[in-house]
Amino acid sequence: MSEREPIGEVIESSTRQFVVEVYEEAESPAFGSWIRVEGDGDRTLFGLVSHVETGSYDSNREAVALGLSPEERAEEMPMVQELLRTTVRAQVLACRDREGRIRQTLPPHPPDIHDFVHLCTDEHVRTLDAPFDFLRTLVEHPDPAVPVDDLLVAVLRRIYEANGGEHGGREALVAAGRALSRLLDDDHERLQSILRRVL
Amino acid sequence: MLDLSQLRAQLDDFQKFEATVRDRRAEQRTRATDALRACAEHWPEVQAAVEEAQPRRLVAALQESPDRTVRAPDRPTPITVVATDGSQIYPDRHVDPTFFLLNVSRVGFQYGTQEDPVLESVPRLRFEDDLSEHIDEVLGSMTTELVSALRDEMELEHLLAVAQEAQVEGRPLVALADGTLIRWMIRGMNNEAVEEALIARYTEHLRSFQQAGLPIASYVSMPATTEVVNLLRFVLAELDAAVPENIGVSPEGPSLNGLLDRHVFDGVLAPGHRSATFGSTSHIQRSYPEGTEVCYFYLKVPSSTGAGEMARVELPRWVVDEPSLVDRIHATVLRECQKGDGYPLALSEAHERAVIRASEREAFFRLMERRLRRAGLSPTDSRKRRSKQAPRV
Repeated sequence: MSEREPIGEVIESSTRQFVVEVYEEAESPAFGSWIRVEGDGDRTLFGLVSHVETGSYDSNREAVALGLSPEERAEEMPMVQELLRTTVRAQVLACRDREGRIRQTLPPHPPDIHDFVHLCTDEHVRTLDAPFDFLRTLVEHPDPAVPVDDLLVAVLRRIYEANGGEHGGREALVAAGRALSRLLDDDHERLQSILRRVL
Repeated sequence: MLDLSQLRAQLDDFQKFEATVRDRRAEQRTRATDALRACAEHWPEVQAAVEEAQPRRLVAALQESPDRTVRAPDRPTPITVVATDGSQIYPDRHVDPTFFLLNVSRVGFQYGTQEDPVLESVPRLRFEDDLSEHIDEVLGSMTTELVSALRDEMELEHLLAVAQEAQVEGRPLVALADGTLIRWMIRGMNNEAVEEALIARYTEHLRSFQQAGLPIASYVSMPATTEVVNLLRFVLAELDAAVPENIGVSPEGPSLNGLLDRHVFDGVLAPGHRSATFGSTSHIQRSYPEGTEVCYFYLKVPSSTGAGEMARVELPRWVVDEPSLVDRIHATVLRECQKGDGYPLALSEAHERAVIRASEREAFFRLMERRLRRAGLSPTDSRKRRSKQAPRV
């Protein structure tokens, strides 16, 4: 699927976070990856995927064990796939204003319900760069339901990959690591634990 | 508020009564099974005698030996199974003008393939202007009956449509409806023109199935019918109709009064097996076009928890005349029940799609009210309805 195709739509929205229902045919965005919402005009919001969930569409119907292979399930219980959906929750950490400037801060307005959501390309991730102010929002106001250090691991890994991985990613990773170190009040043990898990 | 402590003594009485009924049922069952076997030996004579005597009760028409039991063949695969179900918001007499809402689901599964299923529902708002002549006349007096009849009609109409859409060349198909195909409930609206119109439209859809060669069956869960029992009561001389000597049977035991067909077949059928097919002699059948008269068989539905349930499967005459179609329907319904843990999967999906949840119902009324208010009309909501929904302290 090309990055131009939306992966889903906003179904819950606030300036702090939004929830996306992922289209059945689309690949679900990974935990710790960036997604963006192109709103009206030139406004773009960047959200960090902090929670991914798959479950039943219908709150009255629970998924139960069926004891069937995926093929048998598709052939004999065709409604099951239709009843499942994946939703992702993203923390809003940056936005692009009408002048095209990327601001690592919360947007003036939340995304609209049903706005299309796209995956961010490596190029988008690279623009969310030093001084990495979004990391401050992430560390100091984390989503209480998400283990923030694991999310930081995923974020740093994504920065590394978007900057070329083995071929040049280390420099950006070190810059982000420095920013994080300051935020963690030189809690070296915690920082080490995060960095150990990045590579 | 229900005061459970006051119910204790009454529950004791009920328990005793239940035990008595259970004992009587067991004796009745034994007698009924004996009568069924005896009757089977010369069933053509029995059928001729019933036709001759014309008992007043509804008696099953025999078309083969009544004690026949059939094991289900394997269900063909791939196969198309379509189903519909419906629900409604009945008219509220506190609201003027009268309107009601019908919601019918459309389910189409291509079993044995990985093709996308059809899973959708179609709502239809109906009000006086939209109902054809005569029918609006009974809306005030026979509200629930009329709304139910129109819902059943819409279910059948959509079942036909989804069958035609989902049909794949060279692939067998079964269309499943929920509840009986016999429109006996239409009688009693005290308006013959309306009754005739409703029956004509319903049977017209049934005829379209026949013309298109689309086998349809309906599934009746826990049927309360007594047509086969009435047949046995006839040969046991329990009905006030003369029984020729040569066919009378006389197993000892209590009267079969109160016994249901499903009690009899529960003892006769092995899990997954079906009974012989019988013809319905319901008077309303006379209005059914040739070939669409309703026949039925009983099916013992196995369940994973052990206690199987009896179902009645109804099918038009033209389907019964084609044994391979009866086999196909038997096998399909059985497999559906196995997958749906005792109830056909396609029908339970159809039910899920058709049902209007309380929150959706609220949303519908809010939308309607907002529309009316915006148009400068008075809100449809009466104080009474509102107070029923949200009692205050």
